[in-house]
Amino acid sequence: MMDLAFLDAPFTPACAGTDEPDGHALDALDAARPAMLGPQRALMPNLSEVQEHLKIVHGTTTLAFKYKSGVVVAVDSRASAGAYIASQNVKKVIEINQFLLGTMAGGAADCQYWQRYLGMRCRLFELNHKERISVAAASKLFQNILCGYRGYGLSIGTMVAGWDHKGPGLYYLDSEGARIEGNLFSVGSGSLFAYGILDSNYKYDMEFADAIELGRRAIYHATHNDAYSGGTVRVYHIDGKGWRRISEDDATVLHYQYNPGKK
Amino acid sequence: MSISQYNGSAMIAMTGKGCVGIAADRRLGIRNMTKACDFKKVFQVNDKILVGFSGLATDLQTLEQRLRMRCNMYKLREEREISIEAFGNLVASMQYEKRFGYYFVEPVIAGLKADNSPYLMSSDIIGAQCFKDDFVVAGDTAETLFGMCESVYRPDLGPEELFEVLSQCLLSGVDRDCLAGWGATVYIMTPEGVRETHLKGRMD
Amino acid sequence: METMSRDVAAMSGYGASSAAAGPTMHQWSPYVMNSGTVMAICGKDFAVIAGDTRMSVGYQIQSRNVGKLLKVTDKAVLGTGGHCQADTLNLQKLLRARMVQYEHQNGKTPKTSAVAQLVSQMLYGRRFFPLLTKNIVAGLDEDGVGCVYTFDVVGCLERVRVACDGSAEELIQPVLDNLLERQHQQDKPKPPPLHVDLSREDVVNIVKDAFTSAGERDITTGDHVDIWVIDASGVHQEKFDLKYD
Repeated sequence: MMDLAFLDAPFTPACAGTDEPDGHALDALDAARPAMLGPQRALMPNLSEVQEHLKIVHGTTTLAFKYKSGVVVAVDSRASAGAYIASQNVKKVIEINQFLLGTMAGGAADCQYWQRYLGMRCRLFELNHKERISVAAASKLFQNILCGYRGYGLSIGTMVAGWDHKGPGLYYLDSEGARIEGNLFSVGSGSLFAYGILDSNYKYDMEFADAIELGRRAIYHATHNDAYSGGTVRVYHIDGKGWRRISEDDATVLHYQYNPGKK
Repeated sequence: MSISQYNGSAMIAMTGKGCVGIAADRRLGIRNMTKACDFKKVFQVNDKILVGFSGLATDLQTLEQRLRMRCNMYKLREEREISIEAFGNLVASMQYEKRFGYYFVEPVIAGLKADNSPYLMSSDIIGAQCFKDDFVVAGDTAETLFGMCESVYRPDLGPEELFEVLSQCLLSGVDRDCLAGWGATVYIMTPEGVRETHLKGRMD
Repeated sequence: METMSRDVAAMSGYGASSAAAGPTMHQWSPYVMNSGTVMAICGKDFAVIAGDTRMSVGYQIQSRNVGKLLKVTDKAVLGTGGHCQADTLNLQKLLRARMVQYEHQNGKTPKTSAVAQLVSQMLYGRRFFPLLTKNIVAGLDEDGVGCVYTFDVVGCLERVRVACDGSAEELIQPVLDNLLERQHQQDKPKPPPLHVDLSREDVVNIVKDAFTSAGERDITTGDHVDIWVIDASGVHQEKFDLKYD
């Protein structure tokens, strides 16, 4: 029999103390520490009231794929709270630095805060090592943070895309601690609709214009079919010169472009 | 997700001077997935009665078909059209018949009485009638529609103004609603007849 | 709040059955909802921020004269709606302290964008026990253009033209979209990217209309509205009366 007694011990996340590598992350930027983490768990206050006030970008479609001359990143821009649309103009591509982009799905504040923090860590890496951080290293830094906060209830599903000495790089990370390298990902409630378009049209040897159009079209289809995705379709492109914002189109304008006959 | 949000809907009815109107969105969804953008939610019963249903699509269709049957039977038996007051009571009592296993729909009834004065009624899911002389709203985010109507509505609008007010209220209301939209239909009823207009809306 | 939920449990018989079923997990809520609404709109060289002055708990009105706005610098105002008043006071106190610290350390007052980023960091600092506050920062940016920043309860930051937060958000926001973004009025011009294209008087009138309408449907919004206009000469304060019901 395997000894499973360790499961009975109360769960203590790795960074509950103060002396671990990433625990000081909150301190570094802010004096107001996450107050009373320990007692809070013991007394179990009912925090469900807060949930409905969080700006959740669970309802989201984001995608990124590598192709022969770079990486395409495309996102929608809606944030919802239940059926109510909290914002129609969220920036779901987070510009970490000139060669790195992150996408946002899950808790909006979680993604925004930690990717800003990641930007700081990447800059520190550059200053220490006198060279740009690789996509692999940056995503690994991010994964370490997320693993440190496992079980705390962060909600993040993100893709880190960029360009380094090895060429294009693309990783999928989430708040459960996963970090997966791949050529093509889509994240969010509309991801299945986006995959439908992506999988049937994606080829690694695509030209630039086709790749951009594929990203835009996949997000447009997701905004049309998924209730929780919508707003503006933003497309970014990354190559050896860094990232560029290619286009921002209103999803409804795209709808009438793609379906000229429809009323 | 509550059952009344399963298919998604938004609906407004308003009175004007000698006219009434109903505006409804056109989406039929299954939770987050949009299935159709041309779903009919408002029905004309006769020259004087418009009825719209917001809520679960299957119950909407069932209730509409049963109401149509009852109205046809009424016409055969009485040899006259049903009045809007009687129709409003019929809808509410049919809902209350199913008090403990109700239809998941909120009906909105707008029309003209015998003297062509406006009639406006809404009802909750078990048939509690609510008569208003300005506007009623129904749908999965009624707050956004309420906010629009409360700010924009004025009494005694003519048919053209009523059409514009209804359109702006519905379109801006559903722009803040994930589960409704994808185009809209506006019905304006005057003693001369009913005009049906399809509106382009946001398609996301 | 606590006693109320216990009474409900006793009435519905849940108290007795849960005792019979074995151990009961107790929970408590650290929050009291005092509700209310704030909104902000920014123009070419000004920003308007407004908040009602009612403070309520459940169906009871605790006070008709509790402001929701805090002047942070000469060019930035923080508004807090849909809130837990205790958390709001705590946030305002900490923010004031941080402003003094900043001025002593840097010898200047922070820009509005820096104030917004600081509020975001302070809110996220309480990620695992959030301050139940919905905040808006309105003011002038470094070019003298009006700016509005919104936050969710844990500090997701966004710069917008118009914002509304709190209990009447869902009532007011579509009205603001309709009047200021004009997304369904094909013949009207669209506003510029960072601010609305209306005059100060028009914006103040829209704020008054929006609060009057919200007061009709939302029971926790009422009494008075503080309307503060921020421009190059400072913060100008005005009070507008709503219904007392």
